[in-house]
Amino acid sequence: MKTKPFAFLAILIVAAMLISACATAPVGQMPGSAPAGEAASSAEDLSQPHPLLSDVRVRQAIAHCIDRDALINAVYTYVPDDVKASLRMDSFLPKTHWAYGGPYTDYEFNVEGAGALLDEAGWTMDENSGYRVNADGDTMELTLTTTNAQFRQTWAAVVEQQLAACGILVIRQHTPASWWFGDTTGLARRDFELGAFAWVGAADPGGRTLYACDQIPVPANNWEGQNGMGWCNEAASQNIVLATNTLEREARIAAYNVVQDEFAKDMVSLPLFQRAEAEAWSLNLEGLVTDATEYGTASAAAWSLADGGDTIVLGFSQEPASMFTLVESAAVQRQIAQMAIGVANTQYNYDYQPVLQDGLSTIESGLATNEMVAVAPGDMVYAADGNPVELAEGVEILVDGEVVAYDGTSELQLPQLVVTYKFKPYTWSDGTPGSIADFRLGFQIKCDRQSGATTFNGCDSYGTEADTLTNITFSDSALEYTIKYWPGVQDPTYFVAPFTIGDEPVYPSHLVLADGRNLADVPAAEWATLPEIAEMPLSFGPFVITEWIKGQSLTMEANPHYAGGTGAQRVTVLFISDTNQAVAQLLSGDVDYVEKATLGGGAEVQLVADAAAAGNINFEIIASPTWEHIDMNMFVKAQ
Amino acid sequence: MTGYLIRRLFQMIVVTLLVAVVTYFLFNIAPGGPLTGLRQQQQRLQPEDIARIRAKYELDLYWPVRFSRWLIGVPTGPITIGGTEWFANLPVGCYLLNDDNSCADYVYLAEIPDLHPAVRSSKGVLRGDFGQSTVVRIGAPVSEELKSRIIPTLELGLGALLLSLLIGVPIGVYSAVRQYSRFDYFFTTISFVGSAMPVFFFGLLMILLFSVTPVFLAEQYPWIPRLPSGLRTAVRGYDVATWLPRIEPGSFADRGLHLLMPLAVLTFFNTAQWSRFVRSSMLEVLRQDYVRTARAKGLVERIVIMKHALRNALIPFVTILVLQIPGLFAGAIITETIFAWPGMGRLYIDALNRSDWPIALAFIFIIGVLTVFATLIGDILYTVVDPRIKYT
Repeated sequence: MKTKPFAFLAILIVAAMLISACATAPVGQMPGSAPAGEAASSAEDLSQPHPLLSDVRVRQAIAHCIDRDALINAVYTYVPDDVKASLRMDSFLPKTHWAYGGPYTDYEFNVEGAGALLDEAGWTMDENSGYRVNADGDTMELTLTTTNAQFRQTWAAVVEQQLAACGILVIRQHTPASWWFGDTTGLARRDFELGAFAWVGAADPGGRTLYACDQIPVPANNWEGQNGMGWCNEAASQNIVLATNTLEREARIAAYNVVQDEFAKDMVSLPLFQRAEAEAWSLNLEGLVTDATEYGTASAAAWSLADGGDTIVLGFSQEPASMFTLVESAAVQRQIAQMAIGVANTQYNYDYQPVLQDGLSTIESGLATNEMVAVAPGDMVYAADGNPVELAEGVEILVDGEVVAYDGTSELQLPQLVVTYKFKPYTWSDGTPGSIADFRLGFQIKCDRQSGATTFNGCDSYGTEADTLTNITFSDSALEYTIKYWPGVQDPTYFVAPFTIGDEPVYPSHLVLADGRNLADVPAAEWATLPEIAEMPLSFGPFVITEWIKGQSLTMEANPHYAGGTGAQRVTVLFISDTNQAVAQLLSGDVDYVEKATLGGGAEVQLVADAAAAGNINFEIIASPTWEHIDMNMFVKAQ
Repeated sequence: MTGYLIRRLFQMIVVTLLVAVVTYFLFNIAPGGPLTGLRQQQQRLQPEDIARIRAKYELDLYWPVRFSRWLIGVPTGPITIGGTEWFANLPVGCYLLNDDNSCADYVYLAEIPDLHPAVRSSKGVLRGDFGQSTVVRIGAPVSEELKSRIIPTLELGLGALLLSLLIGVPIGVYSAVRQYSRFDYFFTTISFVGSAMPVFFFGLLMILLFSVTPVFLAEQYPWIPRLPSGLRTAVRGYDVATWLPRIEPGSFADRGLHLLMPLAVLTFFNTAQWSRFVRSSMLEVLRQDYVRTARAKGLVERIVIMKHALRNALIPFVTILVLQIPGLFAGAIITETIFAWPGMGRLYIDALNRSDWPIALAFIFIIGVLTVFATLIGDILYTVVDPRIKYT
């Protein structure tokens, strides 16, 4: 046997590994990070204006050149015309959102108008090449970076043609999502000229990290922020800070209106369209409520089968990685948790509705106060950047919506939110009544740095890492607690109890684990590994998980202690990763409901639409809160 | 032979280790990972948050340290000899990076027990602990995940292999013996179709024909049987056709019906390949002098074919057959996906897509080990099927 070359090869490979390991080890190389050599170049400041995109006329011309209706037609062949019309956007908020104040400058499809703008900007058409050139003879050329998803390849091809018709040469760069959305690559490093991706909208419009001047990711701020365009418009920036730090909705609407107006005028990011999301359910399933911002599963308690059957079957393309919400944020986990753990609030129609929470704790309801309090150096306050800090000279704070640096001596008054959150009585699926200790345990775990949660922004607004519970007063007699937020915290969603949006506020503090320990005594670091939390959690919601066959199905039985009762005895979720298979199951009646993420937006939807038209199933297309857009990076790396 | 086996065993260990090092290294430099997409959620992420998340996945440790922990479960902390701690201050990773990528906060050996407690760490692959899943089933032991998929995978894979051998080998032999006959042409055409048509297309065609179409025709032709389109069992009872009894979920008939279509698809493709392989191997053997001699001796054709030709034709066949062993474990990714079969292939592709390195690494490592063993078995079987081969 020839062992020598083999051994030599082995030594060579191992040596190569060791050398490369030694080279990267000092910087703590991790998967997905830029190679060490690239780190030096990426440290360059993005301070040089982009030769094309820094000119507002060019950006506006690009917007005029893109026929968004054509893009919608290209990707959504099965969507009815009236729904298509509702998909088109002219702002970063959907037209049905409460904070939308439009219409805003819409940049209708107008090649001539775009041409005039480009001529004015010094980019004239070169009849020989068919593309525009400047006085130096440079061709007007831009790279459009986005993921390689089929859906994006389809509409980006249309954009390429449309911009070519305007004389702009577009080079499409379809990258793997792992690069484009990587931690230290693509978007995170603003490595694009025109960059396309989607944001997911919600009941609260947010936007501070996207559109404020101090949220432009650059090496100097360690690439923090999400304002990849490099957009700094004073009025917009001030108003987005105000809008996200003001409690009254009317004031917020006014502030958002300014931001949206400036956003449209400056054309730093072209909103293309809201995604169309289709879901379908059998004629046999009754009681399903569909909505843009809330999952159909939020209405599970009311579901029933017209034929009197006791088992409702759902088809989901994804399977939860864990039922422990702190470590798994996937939509499928939320949907199953809504049914089999319970919800405290819902988010229908871009707004909040209390469920377990006993009314929203607004100032108007008398459950919250927002009084001015005097703060002195050394006191914990909420800084302008949204982090809790000890007040000292130079600390930037928000005063009346404006960022002010504290001088270290003057007397300062800041608003302080004190909010009482009340909850309705509930019973766990094992028959134990819920208690205030469940809420306390919720705070203990969710604010523990070892729990596995991604961020602790919520906990940081009233507690320190050392002791989160100091500023929370738990009631002895009722299911309620009062939080005294740090002075300066002006979270617009203060009226919604912590951990009730996409999360559960309570854990069963009475639970004894299979190994004999009390759940409340188990360190947070271990929670993700507990079957009683990650796989078969107790429930205060309409159903409770009774069986989970990995890769196959998850079965929930009705929770006998759920106050409202349920229409069905059992709900089974089938994990069907292939959309064709899910559609086949739906059409053959083996599955009762295929939710939006599973049905998706591919060609299969047409088959479902046809079946619906023939009266065989129910089908609905909703303009989703997820919206596609093209960001325009106004800066390039200094040469 | 013993000397050969000892040598082979040593080589196998080296190959396995190399597989482990290379795959671990490749995963280490691959793009993606648990931090991908975090910045696309509208939220503030502090450098401390990123550092904490990295540490959760052991990404704060240098990769050779991580590799060692994955392979043999050490280091778990400072080395203690006679009550004295050694190397406690040895930096083994970087918790927090500076802006310029230099390290702001090193991880020292003494900090490992706190940062990476035993409850979350692997005892080492070589001790049979593949660690915990990081994305697909957060916190669950990888071995549990693999175990949950092995039965469905083998059910489908082994079934398809046996069936395709039972069908493919006789077809191949007969096609070779009756070369250029109608039978040969017919099965050659069929096997070309089988080899050329993509599995996903054939699978969808089957679903459309046997599951969806009967539903649309149910009112007019209620007697047409409808097969379950996918999954391993049904949730509710169902009727296949009006003239057949109702099928109860979880029953033997239910399982059989659910297995039918994926099994048929896989068998079809495997049969196409086996029959072609056996046919060409047989054709080669049939031209050999010893076959002519056997015929000249006046042996009946059946003996000539079965004893003299087929046995020799099966020698190369053994190699391919034993290499199916890792394939059996690996599952059939496309078939499993199309038919929603809870098999190993789907788990693997899911782990790869979502950057669950512990699951993907365990999978590749096991496949690597199985391949090495399969090759050994193949080599040993050679001596059985062909006495001329001897290892020294």
